[in-house]
Amino acid sequence: MQSLRSSAIDSEVRQSVRPGATKRDPRLGLAAGHFRGSFNAMGSPCELLLETADEVLAQELLQIVATEAWRVEDKFSRYRSDNVVARINQSNGRPLTVDDETANLLEFAATLYQLSDGRFDITSGVLRKAWLFDGSDRVPDADSIAQIMGTVGWHRVSWRRPEIQLLPGMQIDFGGIGKEYAVDRAAGLVSRRTNCPCLVNFGGDLVAVGGLRHPDGWQVGVETPGSNASSAQKLILLKHGALATSGDSRRFLLKDGIRYGHILDPMSGWPVECAPRSVTVAADSCTQAGMFATLAMLCGKGAEEFLEDQGVRFWCLR
Amino acid sequence: MSTHNKRIIAASLATATCSLLGTSVVAPVQAQEDPGWDFNTALLYYGESDGRVQDVSLNVLARRAFVDDRFLTLGLAVDTLTGATPSGALAYDGPQTFTRPSGLATYTTPANQTPLDDSFLDTRVALTAGWQQPFARLYSFNVGLSASKEYDYLHLGANLGLSRDFNKRNTTLSLGVAFSQDDLEPVGGAPLPLSAMLDVGDLSNRSGDQSKDVTDLVLGLTQVINRDLLVQLNYSFSKSTGYLNDPYKFLSVVDGSTGDPISRTPAPGDSGPLHEYRFESRPDERSKHSVYGQAKYNMSGKVLDLSYRYMSDDWDIDSHTLEARYRWPFGDRRYLEPHVRYYTQSAAEFYRIGLVDGATPPRFASSDYRLGDFDAMTVGLKYGWKTRSDNDMSIRLEYYTQDGSAPSDQIIGNQAGRVLYPDLDAIIAQFSYRF
Repeated sequence: MQSLRSSAIDSEVRQSVRPGATKRDPRLGLAAGHFRGSFNAMGSPCELLLETADEVLAQELLQIVATEAWRVEDKFSRYRSDNVVARINQSNGRPLTVDDETANLLEFAATLYQLSDGRFDITSGVLRKAWLFDGSDRVPDADSIAQIMGTVGWHRVSWRRPEIQLLPGMQIDFGGIGKEYAVDRAAGLVSRRTNCPCLVNFGGDLVAVGGLRHPDGWQVGVETPGSNASSAQKLILLKHGALATSGDSRRFLLKDGIRYGHILDPMSGWPVECAPRSVTVAADSCTQAGMFATLAMLCGKGAEEFLEDQGVRFWCLR
Repeated sequence: MSTHNKRIIAASLATATCSLLGTSVVAPVQAQEDPGWDFNTALLYYGESDGRVQDVSLNVLARRAFVDDRFLTLGLAVDTLTGATPSGALAYDGPQTFTRPSGLATYTTPANQTPLDDSFLDTRVALTAGWQQPFARLYSFNVGLSASKEYDYLHLGANLGLSRDFNKRNTTLSLGVAFSQDDLEPVGGAPLPLSAMLDVGDLSNRSGDQSKDVTDLVLGLTQVINRDLLVQLNYSFSKSTGYLNDPYKFLSVVDGSTGDPISRTPAPGDSGPLHEYRFESRPDERSKHSVYGQAKYNMSGKVLDLSYRYMSDDWDIDSHTLEARYRWPFGDRRYLEPHVRYYTQSAAEFYRIGLVDGATPPRFASSDYRLGDFDAMTVGLKYGWKTRSDNDMSIRLEYYTQDGSAPSDQIIGNQAGRVLYPDLDAIIAQFSYRF
């Protein structure tokens, strides 16, 4: 059954579809005996691969998956002005009561802040006002970073479920969790509807559920960014569980011979030194895989050691 | 914040994820890199001193790993042998003339030299194929086929193995069987055992093609003692039946009091040997038992590998092999590996340096130096390194020396001052590349 080749996770494609792209049109095609549904969400090409011959079921599942992706995007995107994130970010120091799902995500973020000793921080997004990783040499000056750092830090947030209160000027951003969360949510909905084996892939963060008839599993190509064609692609065989990738070598600043990677350390406001170019991690769920990958990036040169300590399978590109 | 601060968060992250997603335990991830092909290539030179055997061989072993620890192995070996090998005849004060194995010409060995058959030249091509896979959780099996071809030899073999893990996979018990069938088509035909070497053109003592069958049985036990020590014990039994002679080996017929070869005159108008020789005769069955023990000990990256083998067969050959290797890594990507091996064996019960003229001929006799009483020592050094693209390369240089002796009760008269056992020195050089 050679049919189970998922399309490659191509970070180039991922990067070329910028946030704000609104073309969401879901499409379903039959490719070599399995259904492949595709659509756009969260600034990424998304796909659903289904090992079934039932087109009606495939159509229904694609709708379920796409709807869930769009729902998560609409609800938690920081680019929208009408969702819960916008309300929190515009609360201007006032306490705000949030719904259950948002509370779950905030709870998760709070736990990760602790587990990472402050390296994973959903309030660090405001640093992007100063850091624009566009390949230029526009490295921000230390003063402007220091100024922004006054509004960074989960420890400054008052979070008592279901009530959140930010300091004025602070913002939260679920960008580091949202996509992986959406993948797991969508896969969960598929599992509830059918046992049919499927692969949910949102821009390279993906999960495989349902028993696969092919003994090798789904073949997932991981495009290693920035490298030349020769050893660029690793083939990973995924029977069950998730893969998530963090990192992109195209997002950087270069000044006076120093390369500033796009992974920002929320404790200093400056890019993490010696972060890998990309980290792909295999874990039981996409959320776990994504967090391992993100935390590894934040460990800089200790990324591999961190992942080895966690006992997970990973592919690190330097 | 220090990054080398060891912190295991996997369990806490799993719990946090479960509460986020509202799910209970998820099935564990099953992902692995597509293993692909792995090639092991080696170019080996083996050269014996004094113009004896030189062998250049190229070995390619290709291994394709599939998920779930399944492996396909394909091997190709090409050998080119040149040089000469001791024919079994004794050295003597005068020149000796022999009929070539083809029966079509003669060659002469100068006085006081160990007679060598210098027509020794061969190319061998060998192919192997194997498949290995686990089944029923704790079991694994392997099957293999092998074939090799030389101009006078065809080997076909098959093997089957089964292993089972016990004791949390710290113990592995394995059983293997192998069968092979070899067909010999000696140049000029196989000489009848103990028949005399005849004049050029006389093939009346030659028979047709021959064959032998070999069955091997191996019982193995591998035990992980702790994370640094691995021990392996094997018992093996091997039974060969059929034509077990070397068709190109013969013995000198000597005088019972002087020990000199008995002269002979070729038929008028013919050329042929000027002394008497008889082709060797071995039993048509051989059973070998051997036990083997190996221990690999890891001393923080340095690995000591010790092994011992005892072999005993019903030809009365007993042998002991002691071997040690020590892998000594330096830097991240290099290692040195010294190697010593000591081997000693007792002679086969029918090993004779020559046949005595007029005495009742023994039923079996061979003067093949490989069946004699000898000790051998190998010392070597291997240097290995990882290339930039993480492939393994190594060079190995070894020196082999074999030192044997003729049984003292067989030495007659003038033989006392002569070389009765052809000692052997050889150099082994190997370059390996794994990618």
